[in-house]
Amino acid sequence: MNAPSPVLRELAPRLYWLLLVVAAWLLLRGHHEPGGGFVGGLVALAATVVRALAFGSPEAARRLPLRSPAACAALGVLLSLLSGLPAALGGAPFLTHPWVTVAGVSLSTVMLFDLGVLLAVWGGLGGYALALLDLDRPGEDR
Amino acid sequence: MSHPPPDSRPGLLREALGSAAFALVPAAAFAALVFGLLTRPLPWTWTVPWVPGAGVQLSLRVDGLSALMLLLVTGVGVAVFVYAAGYLAHDRRRVRVLALLTAFLLAMIGAVTADDAVLLFLFWEATSVLSFLLVGTDHEDEAARKSAQQALLVTGGGGLFLLAGLLLLGQLAGTYSLSGIVARGPSLLHEPLLYPALGAVLVGCATKSAQFPFHFWLPDAMSAPTPASAYLHSATMVKLGVYLLARLDAGFGDWLPWDLALVPMGAFTAAWAMVLSLRERDLKRILAWSTVGALGTLVMLVGLQGDAATVAAASFLVAHALYKAPLFFVAGNVDHGTGTRVLDRLGGLGRRMPFTAAAAALAGLSMAGLPLSFGYLAKDVIVAAKQDTETLRLLVTVAQSYKFVGAVAVAVAAVAAVRIFWRHPGPCDSCPAHEGNAAMVVPPLVLAATGIVLGLAPGLVEPLLAAAARAMTPGEGGPPVDLGLSWSPLLLTAGTTAGVGLGIYLAWDPLHRVLARLDPLDRWGAAALFRAGLEGMRRVAAGLTRTLQHGRLPAYLAVLLGAAVLGTGALALQGGLVFPEASSPGLPVAFAAAVVAAGALLACGLSHRLVLLLASGLVGYGSALLFLFTGAPDLALTQFAVESAFVVVAASLLLWLRRAGAARSLPEPRLRPGALALGLVVGLGLAGLVLAVAAGPQDPALRDFFTAQAFPAAQGRNVVNVIIVDFRGLDTLGEVAVVAFSLLAALPLLTALRAGRAS
Repeated sequence: MNAPSPVLRELAPRLYWLLLVVAAWLLLRGHHEPGGGFVGGLVALAATVVRALAFGSPEAARRLPLRSPAACAALGVLLSLLSGLPAALGGAPFLTHPWVTVAGVSLSTVMLFDLGVLLAVWGGLGGYALALLDLDRPGEDR
Repeated sequence: MSHPPPDSRPGLLREALGSAAFALVPAAAFAALVFGLLTRPLPWTWTVPWVPGAGVQLSLRVDGLSALMLLLVTGVGVAVFVYAAGYLAHDRRRVRVLALLTAFLLAMIGAVTADDAVLLFLFWEATSVLSFLLVGTDHEDEAARKSAQQALLVTGGGGLFLLAGLLLLGQLAGTYSLSGIVARGPSLLHEPLLYPALGAVLVGCATKSAQFPFHFWLPDAMSAPTPASAYLHSATMVKLGVYLLARLDAGFGDWLPWDLALVPMGAFTAAWAMVLSLRERDLKRILAWSTVGALGTLVMLVGLQGDAATVAAASFLVAHALYKAPLFFVAGNVDHGTGTRVLDRLGGLGRRMPFTAAAAALAGLSMAGLPLSFGYLAKDVIVAAKQDTETLRLLVTVAQSYKFVGAVAVAVAAVAAVRIFWRHPGPCDSCPAHEGNAAMVVPPLVLAATGIVLGLAPGLVEPLLAAAARAMTPGEGGPPVDLGLSWSPLLLTAGTTAGVGLGIYLAWDPLHRVLARLDPLDRWGAAALFRAGLEGMRRVAAGLTRTLQHGRLPAYLAVLLGAAVLGTGALALQGGLVFPEASSPGLPVAFAAAVVAAGALLACGLSHRLVLLLASGLVGYGSALLFLFTGAPDLALTQFAVESAFVVVAASLLLWLRRAGAARSLPEPRLRPGALALGLVVGLGLAGLVLAVAAGPQDPALRDFFTAQAFPAAQGRNVVNVIIVDFRGLDTLGEVAVVAFSLLAALPLLTALRAGRAS
């Protein structure tokens, strides 16, 4: 890839964090308003793509949770899986999401589930995007 | 086997303690079993509901037959574990093999105690997989890998037959409990489906117990380490097939087709395996063929009717385990001590390996069925079984082939016990043969000596054999068991067999030369046919792949789209096209539709790839707008996000292709009449389908349910998201896992692509 323009290099980190904040916002509002973990993951993916365009795929990959797309996706699947366990241990069917209210804020394992979806989409699709954007870079000698 | 330099003392001690810990598992199981047998009457049952919806229960049941198998599994297991610790001392595979053996022990205990057909199948398959892992222990050796694959394909493929058969049987009997199936067996004899059901079970048992024509995998499986061969491929696992046949025999033994299948199959397998054993030079493979022979004999005995046959089957089961496992240990010791198992290079080892020679002599005595050994008693009841059987005369005649089998068994015993230890002081006198360590000589000695002790005092096992025979007999009450010696006619038979066997032993080398020269057996034998079948499958698959996966993207697209349109179009036309009433959309919707249309038309007319990509992106954004204005904001958001990421990645790929000079090799976009026609058909077809769906009646039940329940049941007002994360959470979990796994599959390809481009 040609050297990215200085404008992109300057803007990318800000855009990156902005998109991540949007992703988090989408995740949190998703329960009542349009949004949710899936869309949040896609927006986070866009953030990662911007970062990869500006600084290259390896740098963008290091910024992912657990510093690798595959690990990020695996963590997401694991979180979603684990979020169903408390209910199962309590005797309810797997993936029933219990709700508790702590200090006026309703919390549920469903948030954990949605966070898992976000991470899995982010890492899973991000892995494809980063690998494709990385085709340019010569392969390392092993 | 190579020996690394000896470890330090603490290392040795740790290794010994570790091995001892492994051996505790079968030892504890054996002790508990013996204690239970002495204190509690059989049968023992234990049931826990497992998958109640499917009628599957975690039910275990131990009757006489199970107890007999359990004794073999745990008793021989102790010997095997101790032997393995000695055989694999200083070997880096030791822990792996011991761990696999432990897992196998547990699977085997489960298989012979399971009363539920599905449970039995699960344990059965577990033993197949563990056998695969053990046969492939030397996975760096290609032959070992092939043998492991062959064993898995044969027994695993048979396992599928077994599953089908057991499910059919369960359907017929109305229960998946094995004891229930057996109890209802006689009332099922008129069912026409009984043929496929028992036929499939028979195939499963035949693959597991290496019956003709599936006999070939067992000798090839000898690439496993010797302890595993002795345990899995002689004493226990391969007897699972016999075990299940014997179990079902209590229910279906009076059914003539059952006997007509079992007796000839077992008898022919036994005789043929004995012929094939004469073609071998490798001591372990000779023993393996004689194991196949013993399994054939067992299947034949199960098929023969009459009480004596069941007693004979039970006795032979025990006798065989008690002499064949030690003989495998002997083969392992000889291999360990001399570095070879080839007969021509072995001889006169008796003085260098006295304990191994003693174990071989004791075990050989039993295998040859000479007096004073348990093998003699077993042979005694086998002969009796054929004399007082109520089976068809024809089958009794077929069963006479046992005389030949017995004679070759005598010869094999003599080869293993006499020839390599006391004769042929051949080239191996120069080999530095040495005796194995204590852990390698005690187990064969103990097992072989047990075979003699039981021969002298059969009363020790008589109650158990009676219980086992009773479990193989329909109804209540069992046959009387009398293992006492009846000298007059049987000694003569035994003498004849021994005489003929001695003749075969003396003529072993000439016989071997004649048989080894029969190369049609190599070319047309079952093993060769199996390999040819595998190779053929590979060729057909490769040809199909070349034809279907030609790599031309436009052709793939044409096939996919054409098929989709033909299929859905036909469906849509079945109901007749009904156009919904015309309605004028609002301005925003019209705008979005115009954006989509403009993008599509531009994409068709442009020839510059990058612009073309942007135009197609316009279609995506237009669709997102359309979703937004028609009340699907979630969908619109998703569409925007996907489209953006896709266009950016695809654009950078296009740029890269151009820079890499690869773009020129692609045909330039131009008007293709065929593509135009296909495009028109697809577009019109899909439009028609959408119209037909929109015009048809729609069931609002789901929509109403989710809208009404989203907040009360899941505390969310965004119905779409609530469906995704809560109502259909399991689906979402599956999809998320698919995304993650597809990345795992794609990463190596993408990495390889990059590496390939770079070089």
